Amino acid sequence: MLAEIINPYYLQVLSFILINIILGVSIYITLSTGQLSLGHAGFMSIGAYTSAILTLNYDFPLVVGVILGALLAGIVGILIGIPTLRLQGVYLAIATLGFGEVVRVLFINWESLTQGAIGISSIPHFGRELVTGLRDTGFTADMIGIRNNQLISLLVFIILLVITVLLITFFVRQNHSRVGRAFAAIKMDENAAEAMGINITYYKVLAFAQGAMVAGFAGALYAHVTAYISPSDFAYHRAVEILIFAVFGGSEVIWGPIFGATFLTAMPELLREVSEYRYMIYGIILVAMMAFRPQGLIDHEMIYKIKSRKKKKKKVEDDKKERNRHGVGS
Amino acid sequence: MLSVNNIQTYYGNIQALKNVSIEVPQGSIVTILGANGAGKTTTMKSIAGVLKPKQGTITFLDEDITNKNPDELVRKGISLVPEGRAILSGMTVLENLEMGAYQRKGSIKQDLDKVMERFPILKERQSQLGGTLSGGQQQMLAIARALMAKPKLLLLDEPSMGLAPLIVKDIFQIVKEINEEGTTVLLVEQNARQALKIADHAYVLETGRVIKSGSAKELLKDSSIKEAYLGH
Repeated sequence: MLAEIINPYYLQVLSFILINIILGVSIYITLSTGQLSLGHAGFMSIGAYTSAILTLNYDFPLVVGVILGALLAGIVGILIGIPTLRLQGVYLAIATLGFGEVVRVLFINWESLTQGAIGISSIPHFGRELVTGLRDTGFTADMIGIRNNQLISLLVFIILLVITVLLITFFVRQNHSRVGRAFAAIKMDENAAEAMGINITYYKVLAFAQGAMVAGFAGALYAHVTAYISPSDFAYHRAVEILIFAVFGGSEVIWGPIFGATFLTAMPELLREVSEYRYMIYGIILVAMMAFRPQGLIDHEMIYKIKSRKKKKKKVEDDKKERNRHGVGS
Repeated sequence: MLSVNNIQTYYGNIQALKNVSIEVPQGSIVTILGANGAGKTTTMKSIAGVLKPKQGTITFLDEDITNKNPDELVRKGISLVPEGRAILSGMTVLENLEMGAYQRKGSIKQDLDKVMERFPILKERQSQLGGTLSGGQQQMLAIARALMAKPKLLLLDEPSMGLAPLIVKDIFQIVKEINEEGTTVLLVEQNARQALKIADHAYVLETGRVIKSGSAKELLKDSSIKEAYLGH
């Protein structure tokens, strides 16, 4: 029965949605201190290449490769974040865009390590690795009545889902902590935040490095899900795509880029005919959003309304219960 | 308590302060007067650590604080209410006040109550977004927020800016009360008359230099001050 439900193709689409959600979260973190970065494709590629090379050439375990990839992207994030601290808005965007291109060109030309423009293929696929691991413990796909490739896609999806949920939970919690408050204050008014005794340098670099690390993490996952990466995967298009998640969904609350990533990744799959015009549609979305809803589809107000409606509903129900009880009593 | 000794502060290559020296005795209100571009705000920013003077020293409670960062200075007891209020418009009044205590550890409940008592309007509006307050209320919020850090020295940068005369009077009354309860105040103002009325000492800045200083009473009577700043 399970065999009929599981469609590896759809599962793969869902897996890409999850990776894009992680990318959306990464740009959200950087934006939450008001820093506009177009370098996230660069950070993503650092994570992807690091993990791919470590696992393929040096036989690192996959998990270690992914973690080191994310960490290296985070460290590079700190190195880029400090000198660009004083840049704001579009100037920071240009600087980080430049950074992304430098990384890409580096990967194209460092052929001995990256195989240049051809890219790296047969990167350990983490679904397949897992299935092999499971087989050693005696578990195989036909034990639960599905084919091997179905099990692979299913495992990839489940693991990505768990990772994504954990990441979102972490950052939602961070938003409600001291750190989140500091980020929000810096985004609203840097001078005021500074006057309150918030260490601007520390928090801005922290946000930038966190964003870079999460992007690198997503990149590393991407490498092990597609099993093939090349510099063109991380070109300017990718940087814009990541930014669009936040522009379309909204960057005020974390649910914005999550929604943006989900919708914009699912859209070309659902409407096969329009997928060719993907980048054209992105362009139109950018222009339309700037003109009509610059804060993105999901903003504070919307979340606030949803929350207060829930509360109201609950209150009405409570009142009803209360009244009923009194009715019975009298 | 605070002494500023011959500081020179630059914006890039442009020198904004040329040997400014200011003394703020403990428990007093000291005001810095001057026209636009005289260097008043620059002086405040230099003291608060937002700008770093190229030369000169600043000492606070016998400690050299010349190149310290704003967050360290807030911990040491210097709070700045920036020019133009600078409240966090997307946060509620209560959240703004909590942010004021960002550098503190332990319970802030008591101080919250105290601040709300002093500014009843803030208590009334505590769950409203900061940006929806009127100008005067925003200024009160900015002062209240600075008080949440429990400062020993409160730096007020033009609290009367853009406010109606009646509200200005209220604000100055509040500043006086805060001072009477033991907080030393350094006040930058263009509204010279009001400032001199509540201050103990005053400094007059012009193009980055102190051109006059003395007790507030003296300066109120000074004919050149009257002419330049009081409009007589």
